[in-house]
Amino acid sequence: MSWAAHDLEPYAIQKHVGLKLAFVPLLIGSYSPDMMTKWFVYGIHLGPWDLKASDPAKFHRGWPGFGFTHSFIYGIAIALIFWKVFGSKLWAVSFLVGQFAHAITDTGDTVGTMLLFPWTFHFHLGAWAYAGQTGRTTDAAAYFSGLGSMWDLVFVVYGFWSWRVLTSDYFDNLIYRADAFWPWLNRWVPRGALIVLYRAAFFYGTSRWIAWTIWAHVIHHYPYDLSWGGPHWVHAAHP
Amino acid sequence: MRPRLSFDVPTRRDLRVFAGYFLAAAVYISIGVAWIDFLFSFWVGLAYLLVVAWAVPMLVRRLA
Repeated sequence: MSWAAHDLEPYAIQKHVGLKLAFVPLLIGSYSPDMMTKWFVYGIHLGPWDLKASDPAKFHRGWPGFGFTHSFIYGIAIALIFWKVFGSKLWAVSFLVGQFAHAITDTGDTVGTMLLFPWTFHFHLGAWAYAGQTGRTTDAAAYFSGLGSMWDLVFVVYGFWSWRVLTSDYFDNLIYRADAFWPWLNRWVPRGALIVLYRAAFFYGTSRWIAWTIWAHVIHHYPYDLSWGGPHWVHAAHP
Repeated sequence: MRPRLSFDVPTRRDLRVFAGYFLAAAVYISIGVAWIDFLFSFWVGLAYLLVVAWAVPMLVRRLA
C-alpha cells in the first residue's frame, strides 16, 4: 500500500490535464479504494471489542474480501454511477482516472492488486513490502524504510517542481472553472478557504511523508532497506 | 535540439504564501512526530490547515 502517493498523484495528473478533469472527483477516486477498508486492516478497539480482519491482506486486496475496490471494474462501476445517475461525465472520467492511478500504484507492493477482477490474479511488482497485517505503526515504519517511500518522494518532488499547480491563479483559472462544484461551494465558503481545501491533500501527503520519515528514522532508528521487496526486516504479505 | 528542463521562478507573493504553508507544515510535523495519531486522518490534516492557513490569518487581518 502507499501512504502519500494517493494524496499527491492527483496534483501530478492535474498538471497535465488542465481543464479536462475535475480535481475533487480525481482526489476522491484516488482515495476511494481504501476509504472503507483501512480501519479494519489495522484494527480498532471499540470498548471491549477488538475489530480487525483475520487476514488483513486478503481482506484489503483479495477475494473473498474488498480487493475488488482496487480493480478497474470497480472504478468503471462507480464512474458509471456518476455519469448515468448523477449526470456528470466530467466527474465520471475524473473519478476513473484517480481510481485507476490508485489501483496501479498499489501493484508496486508484494501483494499487488486484482486489476482485472473478477479475474483474481494479483498484479504485483513486489518493489516494497506490504505490511498492513502488522498494524499501522509497524506498517508505517516498514513503508517509510523501503522503496514505497521513495515512490512517494517522487511525487513530493514533482509537486514542488510543478508548484504553479498549487497557486491561487491556477486555482482561479483552471480548478474553479473546470468544475461547477467549486462555484456551488463558494456560495457558503469564501474563496480563501476553497484554495486551502484544494491544497490540503498536497499539504497532508507531503507533511506526513516528512513526519513519518522523521518518526521512523530519527526517533526510532528503523533501518532503511531500499532493496527490491524490502524492507526485509518486516514480514511481507503475499497474495 | 536538446530537451531542456525549465523551472518557473516564483514571485515574492508566491514565496510569501509558501512560507506560510512551510511554517504550518513545520508545526504539523512537530505535533505529528510527538503524537502520531495526529498523522493518521486526512480530515484532521484538513481541519488543521483550514484553521492555520485560512481562519487564523483572516482573524488577524480583521483585528489589525
